[in-house]
Amino acid sequence: MKPQKTYTLTFILLLLLVILLFFVNVSLGSVSIPFSDIVNSFFTDASAYTNKEYIIQNYRLPKAITAILVGSGLGISGLLMQTLFRNPLAGPFVLGITSGASLGVALVIMGSSVIGGIFTAILISKWSLVIAASLGSFLVLLSVLIVSSKVRDTMAILIIGLMFGSITSAVVSVLSYFSSAEELQQYIFWGFGSLGDLQWNELGVFASIYAVGLVFSIASIKALNTLLLGENYAKSLGLDLKKSRLIIIIATSLLAGTITAFAGPIAFIGLAIPHITRLVFNTVNHKLLIPAVFLFGAIIMLVCDSIAQLPNTDYTLPINAITSLIGAPVVIWLLVGKRKMVF
Amino acid sequence: MKKYLVLLLVSVSLWSCKNETKKNTELPKTQSTTVPLTYANGFSITKHSTHSVLEIKTPWPTAKSSFNYVLISKEEAAKTTFLKDQYDGIIITPIENVVVTSTTHIPALELLHVEETLIGFPGTDYISSEKTRARIDANLIRELGKTEGLNTEIVLDINPNVVVAFGVDGKNKALETIRKANIPVIYNGDWLEKSPLGKAEWIKFFGALYNKEKQADSIFNRIESDYNNAKKLALNSKVKPTILSGAMYKDIWYLPKGESTEAQFLKDANTNYLWSDTKGTGSLSLNFEVVYDKAKSADIWLSPSYYLSKEALKKGNVHYSNFDAFKNDKIFTFANTAGKTGGVTYYELGPARPDLVLKDIIKICNPELLPDYTPYFFKPLK
Repeated sequence: MKPQKTYTLTFILLLLLVILLFFVNVSLGSVSIPFSDIVNSFFTDASAYTNKEYIIQNYRLPKAITAILVGSGLGISGLLMQTLFRNPLAGPFVLGITSGASLGVALVIMGSSVIGGIFTAILISKWSLVIAASLGSFLVLLSVLIVSSKVRDTMAILIIGLMFGSITSAVVSVLSYFSSAEELQQYIFWGFGSLGDLQWNELGVFASIYAVGLVFSIASIKALNTLLLGENYAKSLGLDLKKSRLIIIIATSLLAGTITAFAGPIAFIGLAIPHITRLVFNTVNHKLLIPAVFLFGAIIMLVCDSIAQLPNTDYTLPINAITSLIGAPVVIWLLVGKRKMVF
Repeated sequence: MKKYLVLLLVSVSLWSCKNETKKNTELPKTQSTTVPLTYANGFSITKHSTHSVLEIKTPWPTAKSSFNYVLISKEEAAKTTFLKDQYDGIIITPIENVVVTSTTHIPALELLHVEETLIGFPGTDYISSEKTRARIDANLIRELGKTEGLNTEIVLDINPNVVVAFGVDGKNKALETIRKANIPVIYNGDWLEKSPLGKAEWIKFFGALYNKEKQADSIFNRIESDYNNAKKLALNSKVKPTILSGAMYKDIWYLPKGESTEAQFLKDANTNYLWSDTKGTGSLSLNFEVVYDKAKSADIWLSPSYYLSKEALKKGNVHYSNFDAFKNDKIFTFANTAGKTGGVTYYELGPARPDLVLKDIIKICNPELLPDYTPYFFKPLK
């Protein structure tokens, strides 16, 4: 392993890039806002905001912070899953978190069609969707955990997660079959993901849960590095495999679960960011990887969101389309260029 | 030159004759007149001495060909044989019973006083009209299940004279089965009409099915003149209030495009709809920023999606509460006006009564113009 010193400069550069992109993201949008207004907005009293200042303070700033949390959180949980399962194809959602969340959301939006009532479901408060998504992913995850405590093999957990995913998607498809057009539309829109929907108070809740997830991730760095040597070897080094597995899974579910609940299922980022990071940093040490993934996740999400906003047009693209459109070619290009995967 | 012109005319008329004969092989050749329609583009009725031909020009948005139906009396039908393939249905008029599939068809039946001929409807809970609801409660109207999956067995069982359907893409298997069972299926395209009066003129379509053309004409004429009078009245307003419409899903705001029916109502009500200069008839999906910047100080906010209270609106998104219309209690919605079983009245009655919709909007925007009028659909959001 190379000495850590070499990366200090890279980290500083990446951090500067995050800050730069954060400002670029805040200054770009459908309405063109002069730089002076952006600066002014920080010194104006909230009750005296002009339209443009309001947009900066209450729409673009929370959106940019959400982008950072979503990008970094998904990246880290993806990294945790890839290491835990020693599988480059794993992502934050392999444990059935998204499918659980979509089941919860589908039940809230479309359940009334099956259970009864016509327009009861058309209007759903945001918190009920967040709670439904969290409950859904939590319940699916809990089932996966209970089943996985009965199996020794980590790979089995992966497959169990996939199976739970199939079960929930089957239920979702039954629900959609009986749903009205409006309900289906709402469900599909949820699936597009959105960063611009969070207000400061919601962002507060989001960030707190995220922080707990981050602490769990940092706490499992040592276990992750040991796991890379193989489960049996890790055990012989004195690692409590079950406990570490539990901590890693909890960290992932807190991060990915809360992100899905607040921003919808954001595709691709969780899978791609760890690969991009490993290729650039050329290391498998999680002490380096976790902060690096954090920065890369934030950078890529900020870039994707800036593009999705289609600056100076009246329209916005769904963030999910952009993450895959921009991200997938980057990963392909990196893998082809390097010829050898770091894993 | 003249000679050529005459020749051309003759050949054209000969050619058209040929077409005509091909269509009506078994029908006596007679003079035909077309029923005049002022606003509706989606259908036409051609009257022949023994029968009429109803043409549905755009049964669904991407339809490539039209549908033709023969409307004929029982007596004449006994004397005539039609080639089955030439028409999409032979309908004996007046029809005695019917299945309709959209709540927008209900007002036409009631205005023509033929609501007792309705024997089946998919999703009866959506119907709000009290008259028809009473018949549903008396079990005189069969529930036919959900629109997309019209319960074919029950339709075949009640065997209506006609099924008035609507098509999204013409690929409805249930309707195909019903048609094969010799129950004529007519695609009603009222919802594809662009102008408010065009939608309302479809009452003439139902008039033709019931041999009540005259009643249909006079009902429509009254609606038309009421509408145009209201439109004229609106021109007297001194102020043109600015209008915001729709609401957000996530951070995308959905509002009607400048050429949509909704925008035409706003234009006829002499208001300043902030997106009236956009092209197209569907809905715009705009970023929150743009709408906030343009419409934060709009005077009036009409139909904020399905939100039923200001409280719900605020819960949905705090940004809403920052709009002037929210602070000044100038939000109006039709979503609160619903029937006993939850169907929104505006969706059912609105297309048939554009005069009421227009007056509602005028009353909201310029109350002094219609002092004694109580809005029918639009109520303030509380």
